[in-house]
Amino acid sequence: MENKLSPEIVLNALKAVKDPDLHRDIVSLGFIKDLVVTDSRVAFTIQLTTPACPVRDQLAAQARQAVQALGIRDVDVRLTSAVMGGRPGKIELIPNVKNTVAVASGKGGVGKSTVAANLAVALKRAGASVGLMDTDVYGPSAPILMGGSSAPAVVEGKSGPPGEYGIKLISMAYFLPKDEAVIWRGPMLHKTIQQFLGDVRWGELDYLIMDLPPGTGDIQLSLSQTIPLTGAVIVSTPQDLALTVAAKAIAMFQKLNVPILGIVENMSYYVCPKCGHREDIFGHGGAREAANKLGFPFLGEIPLDINVRVQSDSGKPVALDEATPYGKTFQEIAGALAAQISIANFQKEQEISIE
Amino acid sequence: MTVPIVPKKIKLAAGNDTLSIEWSDGHISAYPYRHLRDKCPCATCSESSSSRHVEPGPFPILGEKPLRPERAELVGRYALQIYWSDGHSSGIYSFPYLRELCPCAECAWRHSGEEASPRVC
Repeated sequence: MENKLSPEIVLNALKAVKDPDLHRDIVSLGFIKDLVVTDSRVAFTIQLTTPACPVRDQLAAQARQAVQALGIRDVDVRLTSAVMGGRPGKIELIPNVKNTVAVASGKGGVGKSTVAANLAVALKRAGASVGLMDTDVYGPSAPILMGGSSAPAVVEGKSGPPGEYGIKLISMAYFLPKDEAVIWRGPMLHKTIQQFLGDVRWGELDYLIMDLPPGTGDIQLSLSQTIPLTGAVIVSTPQDLALTVAAKAIAMFQKLNVPILGIVENMSYYVCPKCGHREDIFGHGGAREAANKLGFPFLGEIPLDINVRVQSDSGKPVALDEATPYGKTFQEIAGALAAQISIANFQKEQEISIE
Repeated sequence: MTVPIVPKKIKLAAGNDTLSIEWSDGHISAYPYRHLRDKCPCATCSESSSSRHVEPGPFPILGEKPLRPERAELVGRYALQIYWSDGHSSGIYSFPYLRELCPCAECAWRHSGEEASPRVC
């Protein structure tokens, strides 16, 4: 080897590798850590902005190739991640939660809770620390979807949420007998949201997923006013009826200056397990079209499938198994969502100063 | 998608009984306290100002506390809540609403003839 290899030469070569979402090279993004360069060997770690990064393997392969092109055969690439938060300051109620994501739809019955639970599971499976907050006080469903039945333990006056599948979880369902109903007006809902945020020991979380009830009312407003949300995911079925109502949820978030991280199409199509015939029961592609028209990312589509329903009802979200087609689908949607969160956080928001 | 215009720096006491906002697009608004207080968007104030608004006279009652914002807090990502010295604090001034209220000549001209944006309470 005639040329002496230096860290500078390696970093220069790695600058050819660009993050496709952030549109910058991985060196200037500060992703390269622990670079060790000897004459015959190069080792480094790529620190991604999320463990759910959809392009992680692609980036690792490109980085390896870039260094190998320098004539080095022994290249050791490790992948790690450190999830970023978007704000310079900490949020008082949840100081160690990096990102808060509302899952909303406007219309009821489109599968918000199922999508929220599976996104939480998929992010967890990818290696992130995740919480799931069921903000639907009137119709709580998260403990059914997640298979949790025990009420949260109270530690030092604060509830410690149980961890189903390693996900911290809070829901009104824990505080009510099964057949009882919550019959409340707005101010009580507001108080509940504040308690779900501040009186629960969330600890350190990369992502807190919030399952919202239908509508554009008290809960949505309380949540958006109490904390600066990282963003919102809109779930819709492909039919016009659902999309029309979803547009109202989008309008609400825009008024509240909450970024729309993307749109998910649920019940996107149905494939008969007997004959393989595909039926677009609610139409198909409507949510994608709406996303394109409005300029929001389209995060993915989930077919109407009996397995999703059966596993949801039995408290075993399909996202627990990436080997199944629907498990893989949720993993991809969670990856796309995590990428959008990273993009939003990279556009570092300036803190608003009040003096 | 357009990037929303939001405040960068809010000064509660910017001199001459005004609150100033420096916006993300560089514009600077200076609001006389009385103007801002009169435009409080809360349900009670917007109700009373449309039906029976009483202009404050030129001579304030002796001993009355001068009007000023004692503190202010951000509401989520979209608004400012001002705690006035008269004890009132329920108004949530959304950023677009505050921008609309900018009393400078340029903004006043731009907003003339425009409909006020629907409120979020």
